[in-house]
Amino acid sequence: MIWRFGLFDGTFEPLASTHWALVAALGLPLLLGMLAARLPPRQAWPVLLASVPVLASGLMLLSAYDQAGPLRWQWDIAGIQLSLRLNGLSVLMLLMTQVIGVAAALYTPGYLRLSEPGPLSRWLWPLMGVVLSTLSLIWLATDLLTLYAALELMGLAAVGMLMLSAKASALVAGMRYLLLALVGSLTYLLGVALILGHWGRLDLPGLAEVVEPGPVAWFAAALIGAGLALKAALFPLHAWLTPVHESAWTPVSALHAALVVKASLFILLQLWSILLPDAFYAPRVIAWLGMLAIVWGGLLAWRTDSLKTLVASSTVAQLGYLMVVFPLLLGPDVAPLSRALAWDGFWLQLIGHAFAKAAMFMAAGNLMLATGESTLKGVAGTSRRMPLSLLVLGVAAVTLMGLPPSAGFTAKWLLLDAMVRSQQWWAIAALLIGSLLTAAYVFRLFRYSFYESAPHHHYQPLAPGMDLIALTLALAAFALGLLAHFPLTLLHGGGA
Amino acid sequence: MMSLLLVLSLLWPLGVAMLVAWQVYRAPAGRHDYFSWWWLSAAWPALLLAYGGEVQWTIDVWMLGGEWELNTLTRPWLAFTALLWSLAAVHARGYFAAEQSQAQSGDQAVQRRLARLSLLWPLALLGNVMLIIAQDIASFYLGFALMTFAAYALVVHSGTDKARLGAKAYIILAIVGEGLILGGFLWSAGEADTLTLQGVRESILVAEHGAWMAALLCLGFGVKAGVIGLHVWLPLAHPVAPAPASAVLSGTMIKAGLLGWISVLPLGEAGMSAPLTQLGQVMLVAGLAAAFLAAFYGVFQHHPKAVLAYSSISQMGMLTALVAMGLVAPDAWSILWPGVVLFAAHHALAKGTLFMGTSISEHMPRWSLALIWPLLALPGISLAGAIGAGMVTKWAVKSPLYEMEHDTLIKLLSWAAVGTAALVSVALWRQWQQRQPGGSNGWQWGAWLVGISAALITPLWLPLPAESITMPPLKEWLGILWPLSVGIALVATGRLLLRFINTAAPPAGDLWWLYAGVIAAGLGPVKRINRGCSELKTACVVSCRQAERSLMDALTRMLEAENWMRHHVSGLMMALALLLAVLLIWEGQR
Amino acid sequence: MIAFFEAIAAFDVIEVLLALGLTGSALVCLFDRHLVRACYFFVFFAAAMTLAWWLLGAPWLAAAELGLGLGLTGPCFFYALGHVLPSASSSLERDTFSEPGSRVAMRVLLALAWFGMVGAAIRTVIADMAYSPLEHPLLLAGVVIAASALGAFALHRHLLRRLLAFNLLGSGVFMLLAGVAGTSAAAQAFISVGLVVAWLGTMLGALLIRRLLHLEGVEALGRDGNPKESAI
Repeated sequence: MIWRFGLFDGTFEPLASTHWALVAALGLPLLLGMLAARLPPRQAWPVLLASVPVLASGLMLLSAYDQAGPLRWQWDIAGIQLSLRLNGLSVLMLLMTQVIGVAAALYTPGYLRLSEPGPLSRWLWPLMGVVLSTLSLIWLATDLLTLYAALELMGLAAVGMLMLSAKASALVAGMRYLLLALVGSLTYLLGVALILGHWGRLDLPGLAEVVEPGPVAWFAAALIGAGLALKAALFPLHAWLTPVHESAWTPVSALHAALVVKASLFILLQLWSILLPDAFYAPRVIAWLGMLAIVWGGLLAWRTDSLKTLVASSTVAQLGYLMVVFPLLLGPDVAPLSRALAWDGFWLQLIGHAFAKAAMFMAAGNLMLATGESTLKGVAGTSRRMPLSLLVLGVAAVTLMGLPPSAGFTAKWLLLDAMVRSQQWWAIAALLIGSLLTAAYVFRLFRYSFYESAPHHHYQPLAPGMDLIALTLALAAFALGLLAHFPLTLLHGGGA
Repeated sequence: MMSLLLVLSLLWPLGVAMLVAWQVYRAPAGRHDYFSWWWLSAAWPALLLAYGGEVQWTIDVWMLGGEWELNTLTRPWLAFTALLWSLAAVHARGYFAAEQSQAQSGDQAVQRRLARLSLLWPLALLGNVMLIIAQDIASFYLGFALMTFAAYALVVHSGTDKARLGAKAYIILAIVGEGLILGGFLWSAGEADTLTLQGVRESILVAEHGAWMAALLCLGFGVKAGVIGLHVWLPLAHPVAPAPASAVLSGTMIKAGLLGWISVLPLGEAGMSAPLTQLGQVMLVAGLAAAFLAAFYGVFQHHPKAVLAYSSISQMGMLTALVAMGLVAPDAWSILWPGVVLFAAHHALAKGTLFMGTSISEHMPRWSLALIWPLLALPGISLAGAIGAGMVTKWAVKSPLYEMEHDTLIKLLSWAAVGTAALVSVALWRQWQQRQPGGSNGWQWGAWLVGISAALITPLWLPLPAESITMPPLKEWLGILWPLSVGIALVATGRLLLRFINTAAPPAGDLWWLYAGVIAAGLGPVKRINRGCSELKTACVVSCRQAERSLMDALTRMLEAENWMRHHVSGLMMALALLLAVLLIWEGQR
Repeated sequence: MIAFFEAIAAFDVIEVLLALGLTGSALVCLFDRHLVRACYFFVFFAAAMTLAWWLLGAPWLAAAELGLGLGLTGPCFFYALGHVLPSASSSLERDTFSEPGSRVAMRVLLALAWFGMVGAAIRTVIADMAYSPLEHPLLLAGVVIAASALGAFALHRHLLRRLLAFNLLGSGVFMLLAGVAGTSAAAQAFISVGLVVAWLGTMLGALLIRRLLHLEGVEALGRDGNPKESAI
């Protein structure tokens, strides 16, 4: 597990150009966000122009990894070791972050122009920049301090973004999210304190070498696990998630559901793979909770009346799929093949869900923006007027349901394979029930949209490209299923 | 040239049907002429084709491979069929003149009726022509089915209750028949892996269960041909159908059943198996029974067209018996079949003309009765075999039987002819009773007159093989003529005897009422079960809906736990941390 | 535990007094329904923390605590109360939201369990590290503060009190961090980042509280977990 995360020494020195690409990948979103706060873009094309160097930096890092293998940066500042690594997984996550971030940014000008959000909208750009920068940092960082700082910053910026709509409901939900996120980080910090006190080092590769099972590792793992589970909205600590999305702006929801919650999960898995290489019960507890999450999230999404709650509850269920894989990734006595399959399936599911969920939030946002309604009944009859938005919803839902040829299908196929090999029948049952429930809530939405008796007289026309961006993301989730070879190669190359 | 004519004879009716459809949807209803010259001409290419000579045509692209042929058998068949369709069409123009003017004055129901009739008439004709020239199963069956179902519109035309009943009887039995035919075809064709009628004949001859295949097909075509037991639609449908429709129904369509038999049964083939011979005997008995019983039942009918319908059943019974001879005594078939074809053609024309005559007697032209009544009687007398073509026909059938020494059958047929004579005279008498003045249309009586003359001189124009038909020698005339006088005498004495007894007519359609009663009785329990099932279903639906609602309510209540979780996130996080720590420590201590 | 008390008895009285002061002021701050008084106690707590960092030999941290905790975070609370830059909406005086007894009991139980868990964790770490009994009273205070602050956080409904609880939890965790890791550069970096984050979070929270008061009134501050909330 540790080598898969690229947590080891002895790799090549990065080239000078790679340094610049790194700086660009980490700093540009922030800088551009600040710039956009000064000069808010009214059209999509300046955003497109600005996103070119960001994406270029990601591609440069990809090519650098292709040529030289895993890379490593290390700084010693006032006796504190800070380090970054670039392996296949982090490149993949970085590219995903940049693509979804750019898509959300491209979507934003049109959205803001149409929804007339008031003076606070200016703040959206820098906050988005902070979130994207810190996310990139989280995928790369390999020391506890950087991870902590990035996680905190990302959390604060995410709370800020989510509350920009300034409705009372958004404020209540946002305040809860703020307090819980901060407390979660403090719990995480308490765990880190134990690690620091006992082993006296912060860099993950070093820790991976010195950590041995014992009470300190266990306490730390429990504290870190609980804190990060709270931040990652893992069942049963997920309940803050849906109200937060209920009244947030569409691009913000897309970013948050697709990326922000995943960051905590990423850190959790990474740290547990160091602290608990052989624990049997703790990953199983997570997996059991994951099964509950699949069912509970599916039921919530099925019975809800609000479009955004539907999409947000589906996130809870989809995170459940990731939780179910924990025993395969962390538990003892798992065959290497099963573990490899589970590893591939885990990340493919995470990425596929990120794309699909971002697309789904955008499509749902389009529907709500055009109809001015936020309930399922409110979007009745949209099938005729907004076929493209519904198409996007459908394509994204295909990924969520795990139908071929989407990334969701490939991921679930890999996971099922791994589970069958390791005979985890409960997990398989949960996977299948989850797919059924997904179909149930998706088709409920579609049934409403095909009602023809809707009394809508006025549909707000959308800005050009808003549907197209969502469609691109949804198709990307499809393409990942068809071209799964590319991400899987990157994942396998994690430590070769 | 022949190929062109062949294609034309099929495409022309189709084109006419499309033209009618286009006109119905495009032209203003008020000025629409439903029976235009185009419409009248629908059967003419087929008539031309019949006199063009023999031809063979194979088209591979048509369905499963088309095999169309005009041979010595089908040429005369096509000739009388096309001729009768043409005459009936002309007659129809006169017959429907009143309705046409009603439609033009804006009666929408009549417009719909006429549109339906004029659209489906050419389609029925198309099916009839196609089944005659087809030699492959698919085309034959397609033509047969097309004719059968398009003819529904002809029967149901007037839309009265009786017409609906007749049409219902017709369509129910037609569907039964189609099913039987399809089953027989699939079985025999599958057995021999063939797609042609020739293959079916061979298959039936050599296959182990050939007799059963033949029985299926016999029964299937028998529906159309009015075999006893399956004939019940004829007396129900004919009285209610318009006269020209009755003419083609009785003249050509029931002959399609006969042609079906001739096409699929290995008649006159050497090496007939015992079961097939038995089948032939059964058919023979059934045919003779039909000939006598129908005559006996028919003479008591009141409606002239019902009487004529029973006459058709009786005549078809005789033809059934003759076809059965092809199975029972294969050697005779080669000299018998021209007589059968002539019989069919003559009966078609004569019966068609008789049906047209019923419309004449209902709207008598302003001629002398002394002119009209002999004219009305002529085709009937000919049918009884006393004059003209009828006499030739009788002889054409009798002489081969003489040669093969089937004396009993000849006697029986002669007695059956007595029945024919009786029926015809009853029909005429009923027409006389129900005659109405009113002046008929020139189209109407024109077609009728041409029909009479065509019926009387059938052997002259029917393209049968040369020398196959001869005039009867003088010494046989007595044997041919006596049934007519005996028949008339029987009717007259019967009438005198029954004068003082007020007999109610037995219902037309005889066995239909028995069938309907039996089936209704049989359906009683089924209906009860059905009702029980539907009640059960309703109860199930209600309880399922209740269960669903309560389940959904429970689910909604359960999902309110989400609020609880939202309120207790931090507490749950503390609990989760404790749980994980305890688990890890406990596992580590073990 | 006995070892702890012996250590307290044996060593520096100032440390003990400081630890007692910290714990006492934290508990008052956490459980006093009078919000203004609670905030004053928070300021007092921050001042005591500054002193503690100084005594522990971390002048930079003391400065950070003075600046961030005392100078910036404290005023944030008074702003949230409506005492600094008073706006149109009324200022907050008392927490009037009440909790059912079962919930209180549950939270007390959880807090005690956490106290046990954190204490056990700290002990396992301390047992292995170089012996430095000097920190023990403060360490104990840290454990008490962290556990009770988390319990109070889970218990309270009033947003301002939850914000206070979060701040105290942060201070407790920092104290534990310093206790187990010493005042190494890494620990100081962690604590500094944590202080900045706590200040930012508190500022954001204070702004939100004011905004909510303005929009919806006092009731909105205790709406957490109310079924009606999701129906907005």
